[in-house]
Amino acid sequence: MAATPKSYGLIAEFLTPADAMHAAEKVRDAGFRKWDVFTPFPVHGMDQAMGIKNSKVGYIAFAGGVTGYTSGMLMIWWMNAVDYPIMIGGKPMFSPFGAFPPCYELTILLGAFGSLFGMLFLNRLPRLHHPLLKHRRFALASHDRFFIVIETADPKYSETETRKLLESMGSKNIEVVEE
Amino acid sequence: MSSHSSSTSSQPAPFDLSAWRNVPTVLMVIGGIGAVAAAILDPKHAAFSYLTAYMFFLSFGLGGLILTILHHLFDAAWSVPIRRINEHLACLLPTLALLFIPILINVLMAGNDNIIYHWIVLLKEGKPDHAVTSKYPLFTVNSFVAAWVICGVVWTVLSRGLRKYSLEQDKTGSIECTRTLRRYAAVGVFLFAITLTLAAIMWMKALQHEWFSTMYGVYYFAGSTWTTLATVYLIVWLLQRQGPLREVVREKTFYFLGSLLFAFTVFYAYVTFFQYFIIWNANMPEETFFFVSREHGVWFWVSMVIIFGHFFGPFLTLLRIDVKLLPWVMIPLASWVWLMHYVDMTFNIMPVMFPEGPHVSWMDFACVAFIGGLLVKLFLKSLNAHPMFPQKDPRFAEAMDIYVPEGKLAQAVGARAAKATSGGKH
Amino acid sequence: MADVIANVEVKAPPAGLEREPLVLNQRSLGWISDAIAGVAEGKTPRWWWIAFIPSVIAMTVMTVMIVYLLSTGVGVWGPGHPVMWGWAIINFVWWIGIGHAGTLISAILFLLRQRWRTSINRAAEAMTIFAVMCAGIFPLIHIGRIWLGWWLFPLPNQNSIWPQFRSPLMWDVFAVSTYFTVSLLFWYMGLIPDLAVMRDRAKTKIRKFAYGLFSLGWTGSNRHWSNYEKAYLILAGLSTPLVLSVHSIVSMDFSVSQLPGWHTTIFPPYFVAGAVFSGFGMVLSLLIPLRTILKLEDIITVRHVELMCKVVLATGSIVGYAYAMEFFIAWYSGNPYERYAFINRAMGPYAWGYWVMIGCNVIVPQCFWFKSIRSNMLIVFILSIFVNIGMWFERFVIVVISLHRDFLPANWGYFKPTWVDITTYMGTFGLFFTLFLLFIRFMPIIAITEVKGVTPQADPHHPLGGAKPGGHH
Repeated sequence: MAATPKSYGLIAEFLTPADAMHAAEKVRDAGFRKWDVFTPFPVHGMDQAMGIKNSKVGYIAFAGGVTGYTSGMLMIWWMNAVDYPIMIGGKPMFSPFGAFPPCYELTILLGAFGSLFGMLFLNRLPRLHHPLLKHRRFALASHDRFFIVIETADPKYSETETRKLLESMGSKNIEVVEE
Repeated sequence: MSSHSSSTSSQPAPFDLSAWRNVPTVLMVIGGIGAVAAAILDPKHAAFSYLTAYMFFLSFGLGGLILTILHHLFDAAWSVPIRRINEHLACLLPTLALLFIPILINVLMAGNDNIIYHWIVLLKEGKPDHAVTSKYPLFTVNSFVAAWVICGVVWTVLSRGLRKYSLEQDKTGSIECTRTLRRYAAVGVFLFAITLTLAAIMWMKALQHEWFSTMYGVYYFAGSTWTTLATVYLIVWLLQRQGPLREVVREKTFYFLGSLLFAFTVFYAYVTFFQYFIIWNANMPEETFFFVSREHGVWFWVSMVIIFGHFFGPFLTLLRIDVKLLPWVMIPLASWVWLMHYVDMTFNIMPVMFPEGPHVSWMDFACVAFIGGLLVKLFLKSLNAHPMFPQKDPRFAEAMDIYVPEGKLAQAVGARAAKATSGGKH
Repeated sequence: MADVIANVEVKAPPAGLEREPLVLNQRSLGWISDAIAGVAEGKTPRWWWIAFIPSVIAMTVMTVMIVYLLSTGVGVWGPGHPVMWGWAIINFVWWIGIGHAGTLISAILFLLRQRWRTSINRAAEAMTIFAVMCAGIFPLIHIGRIWLGWWLFPLPNQNSIWPQFRSPLMWDVFAVSTYFTVSLLFWYMGLIPDLAVMRDRAKTKIRKFAYGLFSLGWTGSNRHWSNYEKAYLILAGLSTPLVLSVHSIVSMDFSVSQLPGWHTTIFPPYFVAGAVFSGFGMVLSLLIPLRTILKLEDIITVRHVELMCKVVLATGSIVGYAYAMEFFIAWYSGNPYERYAFINRAMGPYAWGYWVMIGCNVIVPQCFWFKSIRSNMLIVFILSIFVNIGMWFERFVIVVISLHRDFLPANWGYFKPTWVDITTYMGTFGLFFTLFLLFIRFMPIIAITEVKGVTPQADPHHPLGGAKPGGHH
């Protein structure tokens, strides 16, 4: 890390979700890529305002569920009908009915793993450090304030122009966040 | 208020349905003639066909009744605009009760060879088996008639009452009507459960009177409500397209109806699977014979149609969130749901007469046409005779996404804010 | 907009029909953080110690009882011919049933878009996890040779044999362990943003570190929220069939057998309804005192309590239908053993147990038809205790009464629990309350972010939209 602190981006504070959302629409339309909105709760309609596509978590969870079901069926078939067949109550060695309950549970188990861990993976979490978490006002992002952060890494970023843009959206408090 | 119209501005033009105007009457007349002819030519098969059609259509009345009752019990807002449809469906029940008379005629007047309920034949022949005598006094001809009277009276009182006060509110706007309707619903839900179970047991399960299953009432309930939800979806879509409900039906109305249809798809499968599975696993002959006979011959393939067509098809179709809003998926699906429910009723009833496999006959079509034509005719008549939706319901504003101040704010903010701010929806 | 709406008179609902807000007194977003997180901050209050110490003692008693059981043998319990399944299985089903309300609130009500769930879901989910832990103890210790418990899992062992998957007890193992894991994941996932709230408020180094570690670096980024909300929806979608399947599978421990009183097809939905019923009873018993002690009446409002009463009423009525159907079909079947099993329930030596069950599970919830009862916190609290008692007796009726008179009168008996049975069961309350009190002390007991999300000012489209800044900053 360099001796002089590099700046991470500009942070603009808003008081209401409506203000933040209208600002986000403008940032989106200005064509920024590396930016984000930080809110204390998921704001309804913010995804459209930011132009975020539908989340991919569903596919990961679905893959988990399918894996759970098939591996369960294969396991039970192999254990009870192939490797250690034993006659119980006149039932078939393997029946999709009898095997259904445990396989069903495995479907859900692996599907749930898929959705939680898929979410963490897509969000690149857990991470132990984030430049924003050092910022003194950012703790309010989990309290009652709404922030828009535009990163310096964005090709359109320019210290003065971006600041002007954010000011024009009505943010009263714009600061530079250090890396 | 203009911003509401985002979903309605691009509305396609209504269909020209004038050519279809006489279809219900024609169906009813041709079906009626066919059914009478069937009763003369082959009384037994005709009675089985009629019972299948009857249990199929009874589902719509009972489904409409329970949806109305649940609307009041849950104090729901989203279903206010479509409640009138449920009420009209429920009000088919008095007619449906009368439509049971042909089965009563079969039971009371047909010869022993033609009576569809084997236990009644055993009684008439004077040699009832243990399964009949042990059900005394329920399994007597008098009780059979009494069960019909009880169901008919309860359904008539409930469905008429639930519509009467709803219509009265349209005129007066009195919230006393809402309170009365809730009382009806509170008592009604118990009476509904009892009569539906009674009807399912006495009219359908008793075809094989030796068989018993505590799940059977729930099973019929699940299938009935499923079918009704698909029907309501279709009717709402049609009425929106034709105009009467255009302004009051929202995206969420279809979304919720579709979601409920999905939920009942799963619930039906849950109930059906466990009814089968518990009996399969315990493996007691006094219960398994019911399913053994239904895995025999072509019936086995019918059961596969039910597993894949009644459950997996609709389940996978409805799994995606956005599908519930796509008419080109949902409308064909609604018709598919009817077909599947009819197959399900056939699967319950017909193996008693045809152990080797289903016999599709013109009599089936005649019975369906007769009852269906008559009910559609009645439904349209009552639909046109009354306002299309309960306009003065206290939850109407909420259903329209108009901001309703909550609690103490209701007095403070008042109706002015409501008017000024109602157009918030994007 | 067309004429239809314009012509409709839109007015606020009349008195008695207006909706109560989910957060009373128009509280600000900051106030919500302060009120909820504040419970887990600051000095430990005295009432907490007064509740915690007896709980730990009871938990210790339970541990001693388990050691006694394992060192001596299952003979220290009451079961014996013909009642081979006693309190262990009753307690297991009872506790796991209680857990179901948590999942119902967190998953099913989420799918049904019942926004009122936000005030109660966190505590209810915690209750689920602790209840499942209490439940899990019993099957484990009742197998007698606990050191062989791992044979229940499909792990290779020196005998080269595999578990037998046609047994409902194996299904139970999968159902309960999946249920515990998924409930934990669901709970934790909901906690992540709230732990970030706690982290951002933390004053001491230890708290900063601990909450920081478990909040996984959550920032509240909307790109994260987008994935998060989708994942939460899927988890809710998976938990819903899970919660239905778990108690259905528990019910199959009984219903796939051939025993009169156990073998009946309505068992799965009836068990699920009963589980939700007992779980809501427990949620009411826990939250009614808590909302007063912790001064959270503005968040857990009378409306919330009323709605929970309605769920109790609905599920209690479903259970009542199932009782009626069981009795009716036992008669309808014409099978003399079926009939006797049910007559024996209602009129035999354990008739008192049967009628306690009917009274608590069918009659008591019918009181909740009346708004005056639903909105009286004291009465609701007392009735919720009856619900819990009633559901314990339901399992007692199913397990003990069905078993105690076998097909031949020579095999009849009368089951009595021993003092070890009773103290072990009482001890599980110690475990439950110890964990629950620790949860109250260290975690946000209400979903902070979710409650914020249902306030009017959280909706950018709402006429009252626009947060009022507030709170301690």
